[in-house]
Amino acid sequence: MPDELLPNAGRRSFLVRSTTMAGAGFLSIALPPALGGSDAEAAISATPAYTPSIWFTITPDGVTTMHIVKAEMGQHIGTAFAQIIAEELEVPWEKVRLDMPLESNENFGIYGLAYTVNSGSVTTEFDRLSRAGALGRMVLVEAGAKLLGAKLDKCYASAGRVIDKASKRSVGYGDILQKVKLEKSFSYPNDFKAVKLKARSEYKIIGKSVPALDIPAKTNGSAKYAMDVFLPNMAYGALAIPRTRHMSKVLSVDDSAAKSIPGYLKSVVIADHMNKCMGWVVALAETYPAALAASKALKIETDPGPYGNLSLADIKAEFAELLDKPEEAANWVLEGDVEGSMTGADKTLDVEYSSDMICHAFMEPINCTVMQASDGSWHVHVGTQSTSFARMTLTAYLSMVTGKKQEELSVFVHQYLVGGGFGGKQDYDDVLAAAYCAHELGRPVKFIQSRESQFAISHPRTPTLHRLKAGIQDGKMTAMSHDMVSGWMGPRFAVGKKFNNGTDWLQLDSWDDKKQDIDQWSVGGSDHWYHVPNHRVRAWNSDRTTWAIQASALRTVSNSYNMFVVESFMDEAAHAAGRDPLEFRLSMLNGKGGNRGIPNTGYAPGTPSDYYLDQIWISLPWPTDKSWPEYESGTVGGALRLANCLRVAAGKAGWGSKKLPKGTGMGLAVSSAEERQSPTWVAGVAEVTVDTTTGVYKINKLTIAMDMGIAINPENVKAQIMGSALWGAGQVLSERLDYENGLLKQTNFHEYKPVRQVDVPEFDIELIQSGRHPMGVGEPASTIVAPAVANAIFAACGARVRHMPITPEAVLEALKAAKA
Amino acid sequence: MTNLTINGRSLASDSPPDTPLLWVLREELRMTGTRFGCGLGVCGACTVHINGQAVRSCQVKLEQVGSGAITTIEGLHPSNAHPVQRAWIEIQVPQCGYCQSGQIMQAASLLAQNPSPSDKQIQEAMNGNLCRCATYPRIAGAVKRAAQMMKEKKNA
Repeated sequence: MPDELLPNAGRRSFLVRSTTMAGAGFLSIALPPALGGSDAEAAISATPAYTPSIWFTITPDGVTTMHIVKAEMGQHIGTAFAQIIAEELEVPWEKVRLDMPLESNENFGIYGLAYTVNSGSVTTEFDRLSRAGALGRMVLVEAGAKLLGAKLDKCYASAGRVIDKASKRSVGYGDILQKVKLEKSFSYPNDFKAVKLKARSEYKIIGKSVPALDIPAKTNGSAKYAMDVFLPNMAYGALAIPRTRHMSKVLSVDDSAAKSIPGYLKSVVIADHMNKCMGWVVALAETYPAALAASKALKIETDPGPYGNLSLADIKAEFAELLDKPEEAANWVLEGDVEGSMTGADKTLDVEYSSDMICHAFMEPINCTVMQASDGSWHVHVGTQSTSFARMTLTAYLSMVTGKKQEELSVFVHQYLVGGGFGGKQDYDDVLAAAYCAHELGRPVKFIQSRESQFAISHPRTPTLHRLKAGIQDGKMTAMSHDMVSGWMGPRFAVGKKFNNGTDWLQLDSWDDKKQDIDQWSVGGSDHWYHVPNHRVRAWNSDRTTWAIQASALRTVSNSYNMFVVESFMDEAAHAAGRDPLEFRLSMLNGKGGNRGIPNTGYAPGTPSDYYLDQIWISLPWPTDKSWPEYESGTVGGALRLANCLRVAAGKAGWGSKKLPKGTGMGLAVSSAEERQSPTWVAGVAEVTVDTTTGVYKINKLTIAMDMGIAINPENVKAQIMGSALWGAGQVLSERLDYENGLLKQTNFHEYKPVRQVDVPEFDIELIQSGRHPMGVGEPASTIVAPAVANAIFAACGARVRHMPITPEAVLEALKAAKA
Repeated sequence: MTNLTINGRSLASDSPPDTPLLWVLREELRMTGTRFGCGLGVCGACTVHINGQAVRSCQVKLEQVGSGAITTIEGLHPSNAHPVQRAWIEIQVPQCGYCQSGQIMQAASLLAQNPSPSDKQIQEAMNGNLCRCATYPRIAGAVKRAAQMMKEKKNA
């Protein structure tokens, strides 16, 4: 294959040792088979460049290039990883560069799973990257000491130089590489165990707000997204919007009108071997405008399939019916005697909550360019949250398309900057469609979703319905019951034994001996950190909804609706108990029992919500042997850290002390997204003004306090908090997706409305750098805004809205109900 | 064949006259800094200047450009020396970055016409440019910072 098509080809030279991963699972989400420790060993470059482990290469010019397997999609993860490595490696920041390893069968055996989700990148890689940096430094110090003729114990490294304390002489890393052939490499994980890491008080680069390395290219147009790929002899593809979101079947295609469009080539019905592109017809042309025009000119006869008459109203009706069937529920949390303690309570609170669908609506529509090179290998150019799954999925698909065995196929995935992901760039339907078109046409194809087709095939957050009940005794919440129904996204990712003959990675058994499957991604967040002695969460799956709308993960997944529900409900309970919402929350965030947190990762006390699932998101598996120095669990401190955030946010916002005009109120919320076993502690206060004649409300100010342990780059953490909080503002203010006759209704940004510049409130953000293990910051703050706003609306005017988004009409209706 | 003036250079396009300028820039002339977001003029990712005026290039047909001088993000300043670019880097505005070419071109056009915009004027001028990462607070801050830089340069 031509080298220019392989931007990372040169890198393969040093990756001489690999593990063949043929036969690895192809499903959207699957774990790589165990790599077996030293199999992941990296080897030495033939050039003087030094790659002591797979994570970075130092060249004789003193430049250190960090190899980043996580998707760069707005979180500046490359910069964060580089800071972590550079800290221990002691390289000067101005000589740090980034690159993205090519995804291939061979590199997968070296780098492991390339998958970016769950706000988990820093959390899961921090310890390992620190050790990789430290090992590199140790070798350089040893070589430097020899060159200087100094005693090893008198030498140390700083800013890319090895310095002899005794003689004050020093030598640069680049000079060392020019003079000495370094051969020592380190196998993962065995060599990594014994490394002594810096004390956190010694950090110089971690905790410093260095400018993000990916930013300058993003201000002059030179940044490269997959959309910017050009390949020789490339054609363009545009999707004709399918009749239904899922399960349409194409009966016939009449392209006679399309034929009059100059540049039109042909139309292709995507062979749908994996049920990912059902009813997809792609128009191919020499230019994108021609392909787009042709896609609209095609006359397609379709069998709409089973969901052709299904609408959101039907889904909601089914939800209500399901909640009346306790025998179909799975228990997610079951502590104490909920029913009994409700009966004995002074007072009970019994309410329903619900939330609408929303979608990712990233600014870069999904696109993918695929070519088959002259050697038969397949090259995918895409910006995705998982190049590994893209490769595995396409390999399996091409096997079905071509009839070849998977191990006979060679698929490479070239990663680009991702123009927004938010959980929505992990489905690979675009990859399959582009590859099929390239196969059919015999030319490279650049497939671009128009904004309209992007909305039509989006993977929304499921709608939800919740029934909540609280028992209140002597002003305390003694019992809480939370029943919820939604489409479960887990089954669609084919990860439950119920759905995939024996694979049981993410589909968990329910709490009690009923042992029903339960989808953690659809219930997370309901397992909150408040101490309620009798607590039950039950979940129902509307399987039809999952498939009909193609439900998926959206920024914090189920936390994005569950925190709205739980935190609004806690406010209601506080009022029902006659207590201040702050004081009420603090009294229950006492760190008792299971809410104390757990000391180390890997600890599984046996309840579903305490399972440690972060292992799924890391690139290479953590060793399971007990000798490995486990990193500290993010849950350490438990509910007490959450209470601390709440005190800080409430104090800074002036809770209970700031005088507010009539019609203005403050609301609180806390969250521990993303999962209970990987919490980032965050609390927020919204100050909102409501116009009670129109129901229109305005978010004046958001005060947010977050304890993420260590902030790798504090100014970037603040940017992530602001951005995610505004994401949360969008889902309470204005974002809503409708579903009618099998189709997602909104077509473009005039109908689907994320927040804009005029919606931005004042911000006050406090980072609580507790020094604990660093946790993810790109998502959690998005979960607190909707409930804090709902609670502020109640405080401002007495309107309690139990549906998200909160429209002005709903505020007026709730006002009427409050007065009645 | 349509002749165009882009970033001070004369270039020719073979695209049909009703082709949106966006696709001529991106796919024909391969100046990919101008981004496709919505195709409907409602997101601002494709903003360029024609005779200094910010326009949505997805809504301008090739035949409508005439002798208008087009400036794209590549022409604002290739090495980020324009005050808006400098401010954008200083304040670390971009996250995913996809909308930022459009944001920057919109801001540059605003400041060319109004060197000292008020907060409200910034909000209004920038409201048509969507940013799904919601970098809005820093965008507003960077527009102010760029205005300040331009003033300093003028007074220097």
